[in-house]
Amino acid sequence: MNLRARLTGEPLALAGLVLFLILLPSLATAFFVNFVMTQTLILGLAAATIVFLSRYGGMTSLAQLLMFGIAGFMFGNAALDGGARGLNLGWHPWAAVGFAIVVTTLAAVVLGAIASRTTGIYFLMLTLVYGVIGYFVFAQIVEISGPGGITSIQRPDLLGPPVRLYYAGLLLSVLAYVGFRALRRTAFGLALQGVRDDPVRMASLGFNVPLHRTLAFVLAGFVAGLAGLLNVWWNGQIDPASISIGPTLILLIIAVIGGISSLEGAWLGAFVYVLVFTYLRDLPLVDRIGITEARFNTVIGVIVLAIMVLSPEGLTGIARRLPVRTIRKELGGTRA
Amino acid sequence: MSRQRRRASLALSVTAGLALLAAGCGGGDDDSTGLPADQESAGGGDGSPAGGDEGIRLGILGQCEGPFGGFHEDVVAGTTLALAQFAGATPNSSTSALEGFSGAEVAGTPIELVGIGCGDDTADRIVQEVRRLVEQLGANVIIGPLSGDEGIAIAEYAKANPEITVFAGISGSQEQTLQVQAPNYFRFYGDGAIWSAGLGDLLHNQEGWDTVAVIADDYSFGHTSAAGFIADFCAVGGDVVSRVFPPLGTTDYSSYIAQLPNPDEVDGYFWAVGGTGTQAALEAFVNGKGDLTGDQHAGNLFFNPNLAQALGTGIAGAYVGGFATLPGDVQTPEIEEYLAAADATWETIPGSLSGNEPAPPSVAAAFGFFYGYYTAGVALVESLEAVGGDISDLDAYHAAISDLTLDLPYGEISLDENRSGIVDVGLSRLVLDDAGDVVQETVAIVPGVDQTFGGTFSPDTPSPGRDFPACEERDLPWVGNAIPVVDGVPQG
Repeated sequence: MNLRARLTGEPLALAGLVLFLILLPSLATAFFVNFVMTQTLILGLAAATIVFLSRYGGMTSLAQLLMFGIAGFMFGNAALDGGARGLNLGWHPWAAVGFAIVVTTLAAVVLGAIASRTTGIYFLMLTLVYGVIGYFVFAQIVEISGPGGITSIQRPDLLGPPVRLYYAGLLLSVLAYVGFRALRRTAFGLALQGVRDDPVRMASLGFNVPLHRTLAFVLAGFVAGLAGLLNVWWNGQIDPASISIGPTLILLIIAVIGGISSLEGAWLGAFVYVLVFTYLRDLPLVDRIGITEARFNTVIGVIVLAIMVLSPEGLTGIARRLPVRTIRKELGGTRA
Repeated sequence: MSRQRRRASLALSVTAGLALLAAGCGGGDDDSTGLPADQESAGGGDGSPAGGDEGIRLGILGQCEGPFGGFHEDVVAGTTLALAQFAGATPNSSTSALEGFSGAEVAGTPIELVGIGCGDDTADRIVQEVRRLVEQLGANVIIGPLSGDEGIAIAEYAKANPEITVFAGISGSQEQTLQVQAPNYFRFYGDGAIWSAGLGDLLHNQEGWDTVAVIADDYSFGHTSAAGFIADFCAVGGDVVSRVFPPLGTTDYSSYIAQLPNPDEVDGYFWAVGGTGTQAALEAFVNGKGDLTGDQHAGNLFFNPNLAQALGTGIAGAYVGGFATLPGDVQTPEIEEYLAAADATWETIPGSLSGNEPAPPSVAAAFGFFYGYYTAGVALVESLEAVGGDISDLDAYHAAISDLTLDLPYGEISLDENRSGIVDVGLSRLVLDDAGDVVQETVAIVPGVDQTFGGTFSPDTPSPGRDFPACEERDLPWVGNAIPVVDGVPQG
């Protein structure tokens, strides 16, 4: 019965949360919605692809921010018209969206196919190499990245008002969450989890292990690309530093803070990260103890360290354990 | 169980659909969903109109992290000094500018510091910082940012948010004014190319250089700094025979030095290699091409007397481009008054030039980072005086800023049609003093330099890069107008 209660309770709570987020623009300040929450949804969406690969495919990827960046750069190159930066193809914004997604997905196919034969630490290292190479590709081939980044990137008219970008982020986040959850119970999802747990046995059963890994990587790359598009619309610009090693690690850290084994943790981790960077400095006296803006990464580091020690499943792990403990305590109390 | 899951998925799908509906149906002809969060305007955070009656809500954008993180104190102090000198501001601390100030007022309009943004030399971060200042804290005037790519991003932000007014800090990229052309973005200082102006004229016509090799950092500031020199040197008839661009952060420059022509094949070298790279690159030159003969070298602002500590006095004789202020040998009454005002405002500040240790404020004030933010602060004060403290009519306020001519300690500054500074550039030379030490001595002031270089750079030309600009002769308005400086005294 407990299991049943949880099964119905969790999705309903999430549905309530989504409803709350839909109503949020009527309740909260513009800054909170358009800055804090929109950024949370974008980073959460990107981090969710790390969680997806890790949880269902057993692959911890550091290449997701590269996919995010490729989509942003490609959109900028395709959509901008005139000016000193990028290819300036001057396409219709939605054609540019299609172009960005296609290029990102193709890149994911190639990179995923190469990485599909590695696992564990080797997969992590290889995707780290992807991230570093990707950074240098955009930093050195200035024709597609600026030089110094692509600026003045405009949103398509449909997403003109900032609050619509928030809703777009919310919609894509919900779709990605539902989609990833649903995928888990499809034949592909089940096989992917089999590949995660025992690739040798799956191969001997006739499953194409590298293909499953590649497809999962492609799907994750596609979703990360969508997040990358939202990001350039939100930020208005992208430059090679946006996808350098620092931000790459930040995205992984976001996934770890939320809990790398739970999809919803990606958004939770992003929320915590954005909150720290936005509001920590507003706390009274916080600068008196040496926590100035320059040390926010240290604070994030301490949070990650605490989470790794206290709850390897991240904040969602803590959240999940809390009610159970409370219930147990109550039960213990009545028994005593 | 699966039915329940399906129901849960349905619930999520329905809410997702609602989200789409809410996002989609809100849009009317006015392109707005009418929600509170749907305000693009500045000051949307507290719902108050920017530039209303409540006065100036100032945000300063600095860099507390990254390669210029050490200048955070300097730049905030620059603006604070201007407000202390001309708007009656009192710093909240006598040993740091980062504590803010109080009591600033111009023509009855109070100036309140709402926040200091903390950049890390990336455009992404500075955009987030400015959004925090404007959208959360309600800033209606921004002073900053500090570095090149940040300037472009902030100019774009200003263009998208016409309710705010931005006075650029010391960001040196050309495009922020030349290409972005935001009507509410004002730069009261030069750019990376401007600071190299006049050097080519001097080297070609006075020192007799006909050919030069250029070595510059392979990123926007290196390109821009080199572009200014190339435009200037080629305009007067010189020829650039080689351009080498080592990546930023290179530590072993030997392979790049090898690409340069030998000292007997070229009249001289122009260096725009910054940070720790300046010394490393010159050391690699000594190893690869033989001893330094200062007469054969020129550099941008990264050349300074400290190079002699590692390289020896051979560097003496090298010419150095300008950077907002003038070397310490020039002491006019205006400069003395400015430096004294800095020393009177704080006891000490931990600026970058003193290694972020407490030092007399005039140490920081004499350098370009501090001074750029100072000019922005003076521009804010004088523009408010020009409109009687009333900025309710932003167009009139912006027009008044565009018309300003600031009479500043290191020379007069006015704005061109793109609201970028027309400035005087101080050229200097590393020389041996009587004690045999290398010091920096001002040799000339090039008046009235603007960022177009007689048409070399325009809104239609590419950004300065590895191949741009090409080497072409053309008329520059300042050629032959340089004012010689002898023993720290401008002649004329």
